[in-house]
Amino acid sequence: MAEPTSSGDSFSVLPISIPPLPSFPFPATHHVFLRRNAKILTAEDSRSLFLVNVPVDSTEAHFRAVFASLVGAGRFEGITFEHDKRATNSSIEPAQAARLAAHSKKRKREDEEAQRAQEEAAAQLPPAWSRPLHRSGSSAVVLLADEKSVESVLKAVKKLQKSKKFPVWGEGVGDKAPPLGPQWLKAHNKLSYPGSDAMQASVDAYFTLYNKKEVEAADLAKRMRNEPDEDGFITVTRGGRIAPAKQAEAEEAKRRMLEREQKKRDATQNFYRFQLREKKKAEQAAFLNRFQEDKEKLRMMRERRGNFRPDR
Amino acid sequence: MESSVAKRRKLGHSGVFPFPNGTSSSSGASAFVEAAGELLKDVKLDYAKTFDGVDEILRQFKDTIEAIEPHESLPIGDASTKFEKANRIPIPYPSPRPNKNSNYKLSIAKPAQVNVVGSYQLKTMIKSQTGLAIDMIVVMPAQLFQDKDYLNCRYFYKRSYYLANIAACMRKSFGTTMEFTFEGLHGNNLLPVLVARPKGEASYAIRVIPCAPEDIFPSAKLLPTTNAVRQGADAESKSAPKPTPFYNATLRAESQYTAYLRLLNSTAKSCGAFKDACILGRIWLQQRGFGGSISEGGFGHFEFAVLVALLLQGGSRKGEPVLSPSLNSTQLFKATVQFLAGTNFQKKHLLIIGPLPSDPSTIRQNNPTLYDSARELNILWKMAPWSANLLQQQAKWSLNASKDNTFDQFDSEFIVKVDQPLQMYDLLLKVELPSTTEFLDMSNYRGLGWDFSEKLYQVLKKALGDRVELVSITMPKSTALPISASKTTTPTSSSLLVGLILKPETVNRRIDHGPSAEEKEESSRFRNFWGDEKAELRRFQDGSILECLEWEKDSTVSIPEQIIRYISKRHLKINDDSLEFYADDFAPIARIGSSDAQNFLAARRALESLEREIRDLRDLPLHVRQIVGTCPELRYTSSQPPLTAKGPPQPMDIVISFEASGKWADNLAAIQRLKIAFLLKIGSSLEESNESIKTHLGLDNADRDTQNLAFLDIVYDTGFAFRLRVQSDAEENELEKVIKDKTRERHVQAEAAELLAISTRLYTYLPLHNQAVATYCMRFATLSASIRLVKHWFNSHKLSCHFNEELVELFVLQAFLKSYPWQTPSSASTGFLRTLHLLSRWEWNEEPMIVDTSDSLEPMTSSDRSAILARYNECRRLDPRLNRNVLFVATSYAQSGTVFTGQGPSRVVANQMTKLARAACELVKAKGAELDPRSLFQSSLRHYDVVIRLDPKVVKALLRDDGIKHSHFKNLDPQTGRPSLPLAERPVKALLRQLNAMYSPALVFFHGGKDDPVIAGLWNQELASHPRTSRVNLPCSFKPIKGDDASLELDRQAMLAEIARIGGDLIEEIDVKDGN
Repeated sequence: MAEPTSSGDSFSVLPISIPPLPSFPFPATHHVFLRRNAKILTAEDSRSLFLVNVPVDSTEAHFRAVFASLVGAGRFEGITFEHDKRATNSSIEPAQAARLAAHSKKRKREDEEAQRAQEEAAAQLPPAWSRPLHRSGSSAVVLLADEKSVESVLKAVKKLQKSKKFPVWGEGVGDKAPPLGPQWLKAHNKLSYPGSDAMQASVDAYFTLYNKKEVEAADLAKRMRNEPDEDGFITVTRGGRIAPAKQAEAEEAKRRMLEREQKKRDATQNFYRFQLREKKKAEQAAFLNRFQEDKEKLRMMRERRGNFRPDR
Repeated sequence: MESSVAKRRKLGHSGVFPFPNGTSSSSGASAFVEAAGELLKDVKLDYAKTFDGVDEILRQFKDTIEAIEPHESLPIGDASTKFEKANRIPIPYPSPRPNKNSNYKLSIAKPAQVNVVGSYQLKTMIKSQTGLAIDMIVVMPAQLFQDKDYLNCRYFYKRSYYLANIAACMRKSFGTTMEFTFEGLHGNNLLPVLVARPKGEASYAIRVIPCAPEDIFPSAKLLPTTNAVRQGADAESKSAPKPTPFYNATLRAESQYTAYLRLLNSTAKSCGAFKDACILGRIWLQQRGFGGSISEGGFGHFEFAVLVALLLQGGSRKGEPVLSPSLNSTQLFKATVQFLAGTNFQKKHLLIIGPLPSDPSTIRQNNPTLYDSARELNILWKMAPWSANLLQQQAKWSLNASKDNTFDQFDSEFIVKVDQPLQMYDLLLKVELPSTTEFLDMSNYRGLGWDFSEKLYQVLKKALGDRVELVSITMPKSTALPISASKTTTPTSSSLLVGLILKPETVNRRIDHGPSAEEKEESSRFRNFWGDEKAELRRFQDGSILECLEWEKDSTVSIPEQIIRYISKRHLKINDDSLEFYADDFAPIARIGSSDAQNFLAARRALESLEREIRDLRDLPLHVRQIVGTCPELRYTSSQPPLTAKGPPQPMDIVISFEASGKWADNLAAIQRLKIAFLLKIGSSLEESNESIKTHLGLDNADRDTQNLAFLDIVYDTGFAFRLRVQSDAEENELEKVIKDKTRERHVQAEAAELLAISTRLYTYLPLHNQAVATYCMRFATLSASIRLVKHWFNSHKLSCHFNEELVELFVLQAFLKSYPWQTPSSASTGFLRTLHLLSRWEWNEEPMIVDTSDSLEPMTSSDRSAILARYNECRRLDPRLNRNVLFVATSYAQSGTVFTGQGPSRVVANQMTKLARAACELVKAKGAELDPRSLFQSSLRHYDVVIRLDPKVVKALLRDDGIKHSHFKNLDPQTGRPSLPLAERPVKALLRQLNAMYSPALVFFHGGKDDPVIAGLWNQELASHPRTSRVNLPCSFKPIKGDDASLELDRQAMLAEIARIGGDLIEEIDVKDGN
């Protein structure tokens, strides 16, 4: 995400007036900070705006309405919230596939990728909330129709400082955004139980995909085992001639070794007089040590409490 | 182990290191000795400063008293009236006053001796003493007395007259600088003394105590078994008069002041540590509320010092000394406490220290006895049986504490104030003293309070039998009177405080079995005691016919209270109005009922049957290893017992684990999906096998799909519902692999560590915790109720959303396991108050809490302990400002110490807890028995910045129908007959979780029980007070400061408006504290 510039100047302030509610009957103004996207990596970045401090209950519909009131309808294409961008789901690939993917340079065809995306979507679990919230103070990126729109939005925001006619939050949204409040909590409970069939379908889709990838990975591994790469090295992969030792067996062997060592140690201890004497010495040293520790503890206690005073 | 080292050192001859002094048994002991040494330094009084100029005053006193005006003998009536007229000082005669026409003669002569005695002279006073008093004895000359003056109070009348004369001449000389009052010495009416207090700031008092010359009366006349108060009635009837032990001992003690002074002084000379041991004893007694005066138990510093001195001379069976003069002060003290703990002063075998008297039977009596035969006095003559019992009990508790090496015993011995009635007793009641003199023993002069208490004690002890551990009675304090005040004739109405320690196993027994009908004598005695209307003859199942009593189990009045009310009315004619019970109403506050135990048991049985059903499923791919509960309902500790709430089924959390298998996937997300597949399988199989089961697969609150994703709710027709989650070893193995893999990025490892902590907590530690707490709830009958009370306290103060229930349970368990300086709590209220006491004293930023939950077979070893301490130190070293882990609570099964404190509380909240616990303990201490338990649970919302009030109606509606509209007409409603969905999450909790996720650092929310309709919040002061300049990575909503474009401040208004929008109709009102 964009780094902060030296001053806050590059941000413009977009005040949004919040209508009062019966439970909190005070008018409030929410301040969204926005600027051009600082990092231009793709073509889309040049026609997008970076927003900070979006309200927690933002939806695409809300911002569509806000931008419509600023520069008219049709300029707003979409919004990506911070929360959506952060990939929350880990890869579906089996561990080996993930390891190998780093080595493999083969690119997939586009239509293949599209199909994969579809399959992955099917493997996702259904959401438990009808309307996700966004962390307070979080950011979002708004995609506009073109670069000109970016200019005009910034201009319109500047004008607002004078005209004081701030866009009103939630105006023109209507029922495009699911309601919050009790209905939202009710819906949450309902969505939390998607039903066995839906879950079964999702799990099935997941494992179809998972198995497919596993097979692909095995193929890839086989290929890489046989083909040296451009530097002439052959990648060592699982599934060669000698199977690696099972983990359980390795642990067992280690335990046995430790046991043997312990036995050896036990047999040679407490045998000679000097050993006993040294042991005694060590014990006494430990004792003195504990005594010192106690003294130290007492000193700490004194420091903390000052004087000892029996409670009244 | 340490002691064996010492032994070996003695046997062998390898004295490499000299052992530090006083480290004979263990390092714990040495720390104790050190701490006691420090304590002694701190409490010792600066005599020069405190008693500046006292010696001069004492000298003047002496001169004044020695210059007393002598006069020849006058008849008592004349002398009294003449004196009272001349000086306007009523003579403090013990009641009944002497007959005016008696022919005793009173005279005054120069005292034989005036001397300073007691702890001032011994220099064993301490700073925290309540009243510093210097005792000055005035030995009256022998010529004032006649041989027969020991009889019928004559000595005491003469003494009072002498005292009044001293008072008169003292007032003449010092009336401007001193205030004079008369006071019964140690609350003994027979012994008025003159107390002089300097006007102004001085904090001490000088007590002028007239006493008898040594051995003026033959000791044979004053043995505990003789009578020295002849009454008209006795003289006529020929029967042997009743002995008057108290009167006799009072008189005997009068002549032994100097003898004891000599004893103490010579002991102080021969044993260097004696004085320090006495000071330790004084602190110990003071913290336990013991004192020399009768109302404080009659065992004070003087008695302790004399006991130590006597034990240095003898005391064992064979007459050898119990203590050796070479011991240090702590050892002397501990050995004396041990002696007190091991001695029953009321047993048949008499305790005599010193040479045996010629006829031991002459000193035998019912009251506690410790006979000093050299001075021929029972030094416990001021003690009642109950206070002797209590003293022994206190000594036992102390001894138990000092046996536990792992515990810092020092505080419990000397620092903690032990005599707080509510912390100590399970049941407290106030008994009004009767106004009649029916129970007064006119000949013994102990006063109505004692005589009545004795009767009450006997009756209660007999009636309650094995239901109680201890009965203790506190008698009213006597008051001081200014010397010129005329004595009020009617004693002010006063009352006794009776404290009971109950035995939880037997206290609520419904039927008491008496003797068999065949034993005529026994059963008639039984009937006599209980009365014919209560005692009844019953035939029992085993064929025996017994007398028995039945008490009402389900009455609002507890069984001990029923018994006390009944029996005291029967034997002591105490009306219900003059009995007042305290602190009995803790349980109803947390809605703890007597039938809750059955509900908890039923829930556990339901789990057992579910386990059987799942094990019987044939088509599961893996064998079931175990199914265990992980929620408070399944360990007797939930604030609401299972099945008692209305509304949708409330699932109880359980965990299923399977045999180890290599078939799990090696990708975390895939393992989670496999778990879902397992749940789906279990659900469909269960529904197939048992028609009364409905299952619902629900989504867990997972942020990532590598966390546990789903649970299975299993709902029985009977109303029981369980929430099943699957444990998989593979998950933990995978996570451990990631953590160990050094090539992974830091953040991946941190995330894996976090996930591992969550999953071990859920699958490993919670089942262990469940088992441990359930076991202890069985062992300690009152633990369950205490835990529920403490949870209610955490709820009422809106702390419970920051404390895991497991953590709270561990607090209470610790209060039960380390109950020093008291006994293990034997009622819910003591368990609750002790937990608060524990929390108030726990300095969590300095020490870990180690709850030793291991059983006695495999106790926690010292290496375990030092490992925990090392972990604690490491934890604090890494995080010195306590940003991550604030509390550190380790148990035998979860030694890492952060398992239950990982998610909170934060430092602010932990501080709040300590503050509240301290305030509660102060209140308990200040109010004593008069405490209204409800006041401990009242919480003010004033100090919160934000208070969000939810609409209880909407909350209720959310609980009632989970989003499905029900029709009024059942036949129209397709949903009828089908069970409603369980609640995935309590709606208020779900809202709170969302709010926490949205505003986490900026607003700290406080919330109590699961459906508490008020959520309170505090703004983060750090964020609120510092304006920020950067607009990126905002922790919460900010707004530009007016007039300063570059800086931002917290946008409270906007955030509250957001909360109002999120809550919608659910929120009734958002209150904001003024100034925000």
